Amino acid sequence: MIGAVIEKEFRMFFRYPLRVISSILVGIVFLLQFVYFGQAVLGGRYSTLLEASTGMGDYPTYALIGYVLWWVSVSPMEAYVWGVRRELQRGTFETNVLSPSRLISLLFGLALSWLLMDSLLMGIVFAVGGLIFDIPITGSFILKSLPVIVASLAAFLGFGFIFAGLVMLLKNIGPFAQIFEFAMLFFAGVFFPLSVMPPWIRSLSNLFPLTHSAAIVRNLFAGGTYLQVADHILWLLVLVPLYWTVGYLIFRWAERTTRVIGYGGY
Amino acid sequence: MWAIEAEGLKKSYPKRIPLPFRRVEWVEALKDVSFRVKRGELFGLLGPNGAGKTTTIKILTTLLEPSGGTARVLGFDIREDAREIRKRINLVAEGERTLYWRLSAYENLKYFARIYYVPREEERKRIETLLKLVGLWGRRNDLVMNFSRGMKQRLAIAKALINDPEVLFLDEPTLGLDVQSAVFVREFVRKLVEEERKTILLTTHYMAEAEELCDRIAIIDHGKIIALDTPEGLKRLVRGEETVEIRARDIRPEKILEAPFRMAIVGDDPSTGIAKIRAQVDEEDLPKLVEWLVKAGAKVLSVERKEPTLEDVFIKLTGRGLRD
Repeated sequence: MIGAVIEKEFRMFFRYPLRVISSILVGIVFLLQFVYFGQAVLGGRYSTLLEASTGMGDYPTYALIGYVLWWVSVSPMEAYVWGVRRELQRGTFETNVLSPSRLISLLFGLALSWLLMDSLLMGIVFAVGGLIFDIPITGSFILKSLPVIVASLAAFLGFGFIFAGLVMLLKNIGPFAQIFEFAMLFFAGVFFPLSVMPPWIRSLSNLFPLTHSAAIVRNLFAGGTYLQVADHILWLLVLVPLYWTVGYLIFRWAERTTRVIGYGGY
Repeated sequence: MWAIEAEGLKKSYPKRIPLPFRRVEWVEALKDVSFRVKRGELFGLLGPNGAGKTTTIKILTTLLEPSGGTARVLGFDIREDAREIRKRINLVAEGERTLYWRLSAYENLKYFARIYYVPREEERKRIETLLKLVGLWGRRNDLVMNFSRGMKQRLAIAKALINDPEVLFLDEPTLGLDVQSAVFVREFVRKLVEEERKTILLTTHYMAEAEELCDRIAIIDHGKIIALDTPEGLKRLVRGEETVEIRARDIRPEKILEAPFRMAIVGDDPSTGIAKIRAQVDEEDLPKLVEWLVKAGAKVLSVERKEPTLEDVFIKLTGRGLRD
């Protein structure tokens, strides 16, 4: 049944090649802007300051890893917020609720399909970024990074259920979700090292799985081992079940409340 | 066993979202709705907009939690056994946006077949049968966005039959359809009951539709069932009273609501400004009614005796027309 949701979403998205192309172009344009801006501020591609604080001195590589991970990480939230909202607007949400499939499974399928679609698109952006900035991406690096990326995305899939519940209840929470997504861009060390942030923000950033996955992947790219980033791995292992539990409980509460007020639409 | 049993259903909606620690006011949509539908029966819920028809359907289809009362569908409790009910029912909801417009007709049915757990070996055959049944097999690969409203409604009906439901809920199934499509839907619905032995609960505010299709009708108004019987039984409520239809110009609807007679506007033609009024009056009161209309500023064009319809029943029971 989750497969049916994925098939439906893929069909609707890839049926329009222009939409696919524009999504990739938007991804590349944003990346270029951030990388060139960062290089302008740093005075060049390589920064000893950056290397001292993060272990990775090459700014395009630093930014490319953080940016691609951020984009893919927010896609479950995007799916829950905009995907569910679109279903509500279409009037198809209640049609889905009415089926004997569990709503939480249908929504998980929706988030997973958006995540897979974004992973495909960002895979292309990552490859293009690698070519443009001459970053040596190897197969072994990707393979070594995959478990970490999967763990990080799993945390976001669970966390996103908070938004799925809220969107059913409050309908229009898109702007709130966007604030959260962009806050994560700041607080997870996507484009600049967290060492420039005040200590309390650094502590807060530990709650974002992205902070840890980006740090681990960058470390692996620089030739480091899992052992060197054991603290980040531990954080991820704590955050995955934590976010699933919190997300699930809030979703169930929102679902019960929505059955009182009605799923409705727009 | 009854297909549907509703007992004292009540439903209130909050004016604001009921968040923890927030005091909210509630609006009563259903006050007391009780009825039973037999298996294989085509049962109608007739009432004006806002009477509580859609709320009743949403409760019975487990989309909404009632505030009070109980209901069972095919013997399953709507609160406790929602999933069991959902396996055995389906709904054609009001409006045309219940399908994915960016998918083809075939892809839509395939998606719904999957989320209804239709066995894979049956899926293809069932989709083909349904699309042929609603006359869309030839357009199966076309995107729904290119369909007319009538075609979308036919596909919505096919979608609602994908799980071969025992009970089918139809919420205003002909609303906004052209005459030809509405006729198709009505004939199809009747066939589902007569040939497929489906139980159907249909809501409508079209009296003729309710009268033509339904075995029994419950008239609902302001969240309460005010009458329940066969169409003939309901019409007997107004038999013996004079029913007249008046055609007149320059009628002011707000005046009609204040009239000291049981009457209601049942139709108007904006291009000519002529409105139709139905009224129940004794023969000796008819001149007084015409006099009252003239005093209210109307130009009376004709007065005719008519056979009573369900609209007259509604006027008798509520003092208003279905459109007021």
